[in-house]
Amino acid sequence: MKSLIKKFGKINSSVLALCILFLILELIGHRHGETSIEDIMFFPAFFGFLSCIIIFKIGVSLRAFLMKKEDYYDR
Amino acid sequence: MIDSFPPGLIMVIGALLIPFLPHIIRQIYMMILVLLSAYPLTLGIGIHTTVNFFDFEFILFQSDALSLPFAIIFHIAAVLNVIYGAHVKHWKQHVAIMSYSGAAIAAVHAGDLLTLFVWWEATAFTSVFLILASNTNRSFKSAFRYIIIQVTSGMFLLAGALILLNNEGNTLLAKFDINTLYGQLIFIAFGIKAAFPLLNGWLQDSYPEASEIGTVALSTFTTKLAIYCFAKCFAGTEILIAIGAIMTFYPIFFAVIENDLRRVLTYSLNNQLGFMIVAIGIGTELAINGAVAHAFAHILYKGLLFMGMGAVLYRVGTCKASELGGLFKYMPITAICTIIGAISISAFPLFSGFVAKSLIMSALGKEGLVLVYFMLLFASAGVLHHSGIKIPFFAFFAHDSGIKTKEAPVNMIIAMVMASALCILIGIFPSIFYSILPYQMVYEPYDFSHVVGQLQLLTFAAFAFICLWHFKIYPPELNSTVLNSDWIYRKMIPGVLFPLISMISKLNETLGNNLIGVSIKIKTYLATMMTTDRIFDREVGKDGLIIIQIFTVFLIFILISQVF
Repeated sequence: MKSLIKKFGKINSSVLALCILFLILELIGHRHGETSIEDIMFFPAFFGFLSCIIIFKIGVSLRAFLMKKEDYYDR
Repeated sequence: MIDSFPPGLIMVIGALLIPFLPHIIRQIYMMILVLLSAYPLTLGIGIHTTVNFFDFEFILFQSDALSLPFAIIFHIAAVLNVIYGAHVKHWKQHVAIMSYSGAAIAAVHAGDLLTLFVWWEATAFTSVFLILASNTNRSFKSAFRYIIIQVTSGMFLLAGALILLNNEGNTLLAKFDINTLYGQLIFIAFGIKAAFPLLNGWLQDSYPEASEIGTVALSTFTTKLAIYCFAKCFAGTEILIAIGAIMTFYPIFFAVIENDLRRVLTYSLNNQLGFMIVAIGIGTELAINGAVAHAFAHILYKGLLFMGMGAVLYRVGTCKASELGGLFKYMPITAICTIIGAISISAFPLFSGFVAKSLIMSALGKEGLVLVYFMLLFASAGVLHHSGIKIPFFAFFAHDSGIKTKEAPVNMIIAMVMASALCILIGIFPSIFYSILPYQMVYEPYDFSHVVGQLQLLTFAAFAFICLWHFKIYPPELNSTVLNSDWIYRKMIPGVLFPLISMISKLNETLGNNLIGVSIKIKTYLATMMTTDRIFDREVGKDGLIIIQIFTVFLIFILISQVF
């Protein structure tokens, strides 16, 4: 455990611990969503994680089309 | 007397005295102006001040359940802006901020479209000085584009108002039908100020070019005035749901790749406006309450984030993620306040964003708009990514940039702490916050499902970012320009238009020379015909050519109109 914290950093490990805590909370109480799809167990967790990865992937791929040199408009 | 004075007007008039006051007295004077402006709000709901001019009744001061929360938050923001800008000794920006805030507050209390138009344009002409205040070549050009677009928006509004006046005999601010011509013109006017997709370029172009205090003020008023107008005139217009959903969605990707952190915040602003527009499009009481609550909370946390980045800009001279990092040890209070703003915008429970956004998400769920619901949920994860993490992380942590600086000035810290406190108070006491919303409602944001679901969403989205950063998948920030919709009028149209103009000009020259030749022949002919040639007693020069061309065009028009 100590080696994991050392490897991953204190703040990062704390976030991971919080993630696990909020998953456990769902097991204790009954969570339901605004839509029926959200009622699937741990749905917000999966959705949040995947959304962030998708946003990052699309954002990075858009660099090729949208990113120009800093003086692009000044030339 | 003072209670029937339209809120905001006293700030606009009072701003004229600002240049003549010494610094400290000026700051106190501006505070008094804001308080005096807020006093008439105690009159309550109704039409309080009208002025007759050329048989037209201008409603300068009307107040209703919708205008009140906007009036309250605009006054709070004006106070925060005065405090945040107190270190600036020169009067110019203070005059601009005071008159701009006053114009926006007065616009919210306008009861007819022509009064609204006057204040609509006033917000444009006063705020442009905040962009010019940066005093750079870039800001000058950006300010020029900004004013053209804002005035264009005003022209659409005026055109819509005049058609409405012609059709209905009045221009009262009411719910308008999108299927009418005037409705469409007014809709476009509001849409430009609300930074609709493809009409949003001015926002990302101009706001980051303004001064550090200017951007904070700009982020508060113009776009939220448009939100108020949409809520007032187009609540329940279904197309707004689609437009708003697109607005929440696409700026996320731009924000991810943008390097300038203040520009990242403008994309984030655009995305947050999308939430409000969706809610207005739904149009139910819960949704309108959600839109207003979101606008209210948004002004505070977005202002707070801009204040944090403004403090960094003021101290370090740049807001580029590629050049920042490790500032926490030098600016800890600024960093903590920025983090509170970031947590609020990410909608963590116990912060303002959560209690505001929950209303919109519940309204969407109740209406069964599943696709839009998930688009907004996706956008919520995006907000965490670019505003919740990227802003504080790249400015205050990430890596040691080697920059050594000191904490923000005291006045900036006071404003940031006040805004942070409000973000937390709204999150802790939502029922008080809900009591100022337009419609009475019973809503409990802190139920088990809401809280656990939101915490899972946000912590796992944060964990994804951590993984990307920790395993070095996240690419480094680069000095760059990210193309946005302003590319259309900054590059594409000039690229097409300039060669076309040059071609027409050449054609005109050739045609003009021929016309001169023809006109000289006519002159010679007439001179021989007439005994005195006073009419043609000077050479046909440039003005003669222009007259001939105008007549030619005029004749061609007459010919065409006769044919068709």
